[in-house]
Amino acid sequence: MLRQQRVYLAWFVLHFLLIITISCRDIVWLVAHKLTILPAPFRAAAQKVEPIATALDDKLSASNPLRRALLTYLHIAGIDRGYGYFAPNVPSGYKLVFELHCPDGRVQYELPGVNSAAAGLRVASLVDEIGRTNSDPLREYIIKALAASAWREHPGVKTVRAVFGSLNLPSPAEFERGKRESYDFLYAYDFSRAEEPAKAENH
Amino acid sequence: MARWRERLRAFLFPPEADLWLGLLRIGLGLQVLLYTLSLRADWNYLFAGPGEGLIGRALPEALLSTESPLVPRLGWLVMLATRIGFSESTALSIVWWVLLFAGCCLVIGIFSRTSAILAWFVHLCAAESGGFISYGVDNFMTIGLFYLMLSPLPGRYSLDQRWRKLPPKDPQLIGFFRRVLQVHLCLIYFFGGLAKCLGSGWWDVSNLWRALIRPPFNVIAPEILIRLKNVFPVAGIAICLLEISYPVFIWNRRTRGIWLMCICAMHLAIGLTMGMYLFASIMIVLNVAAFGPGLRLARNETLVRAALS
Repeated sequence: MLRQQRVYLAWFVLHFLLIITISCRDIVWLVAHKLTILPAPFRAAAQKVEPIATALDDKLSASNPLRRALLTYLHIAGIDRGYGYFAPNVPSGYKLVFELHCPDGRVQYELPGVNSAAAGLRVASLVDEIGRTNSDPLREYIIKALAASAWREHPGVKTVRAVFGSLNLPSPAEFERGKRESYDFLYAYDFSRAEEPAKAENH
Repeated sequence: MARWRERLRAFLFPPEADLWLGLLRIGLGLQVLLYTLSLRADWNYLFAGPGEGLIGRALPEALLSTESPLVPRLGWLVMLATRIGFSESTALSIVWWVLLFAGCCLVIGIFSRTSAILAWFVHLCAAESGGFISYGVDNFMTIGLFYLMLSPLPGRYSLDQRWRKLPPKDPQLIGFFRRVLQVHLCLIYFFGGLAKCLGSGWWDVSNLWRALIRPPFNVIAPEILIRLKNVFPVAGIAICLLEISYPVFIWNRRTRGIWLMCICAMHLAIGLTMGMYLFASIMIVLNVAAFGPGLRLARNETLVRAALS
């Protein structure tokens, strides 16, 4: 084997080792968190393996040069996440609605909007991220930023209430019986003109 | 050991023509064009700075910095442009035009390497600064552009080659990068299929139904979809099996054509029924570039062998 080919081979091995590690880590996480159909013994095994799968993340500090180099490479090669799209099950989704309260007492309802369908898919991804996160400050930050963008579109509005809910989709049988999609209230945030922190309300 | 090493070398460095590379370059060029044009009306709104646009790129870029300060982001390009004297809005528009230009150059094969690097870098900046608004299509575009940028460009089917009469590239190196793309696709489908197989909803009606009626993917009215409810379990299981068995059947010359066709049909169906056109097109481009060239050759080879025997 030529020297140049050996270099390429080394890169190939490292590159695919990283891809396989990340993909396996995702699968182990799904099994360990009881999100799959696998029986209990598999879950127990996955729970044991999970710390090994995340060892590099846990052991190296955020400023460690090796960790940073590795994360940079994962991002620039587009291999920083696994490939479990719509898996193991399709999540229901979420919805964010703004109630725009006008000075004359009228209330307008608005969804976070964009001009194109392609950008609409990205907004849906953002709303899902709000629903998935366990971080209250992050959720509030994103909703506040979205409320601010709605406010810029309607500068005359007095207060904005952001209502966030999860979507309930009917099964085919339920749909045939007349049931349609519905929403469960999760959070609400009130924003006013004054620079006050948002008042949050949980379900 | 020497025999094993030789087999590995033969697998990883097969001498290949550069047709697949031409397909990848043109396909990714078109993908970049579709990506930029589809976001034209919202580009500045999606990637604006703090206090502007949808949510601004400040938070995703700050979170990115905690992971690594070396990952490219739009903030760098905007900072560079504002130092020259452009406003933030103009800087973002310039970035959009640069990406569009890189896409055009890739399609016609002019300044192929520079265009590939430019397209990869600018798209990566947008994908990383987008953070929460990026999804699968960005990931696969980054993967495709990363491999394209590293591959032995420009290739025979480019204007670069016709104008500059460059010496032909090493066929083994061309073959190596095709193998990289092929192996990566096998892993993508294997792990994607495995994750689906582990979910209960792919073995019955629920997951496909939910995927199709869930906003914003509800392109087809549920009243129409409900008529096809008996097809969903079969289609769900077929998707799982098609994906998880991809690494086995795509390598076999006899089954490669049918598997490639089925996978492309699946992505086309996803694009049409869920409105995920960009996602469908990038997956079809990667598949066709990786496994498309050689299909006719394989059939011709079989015919030649049959004639000789």
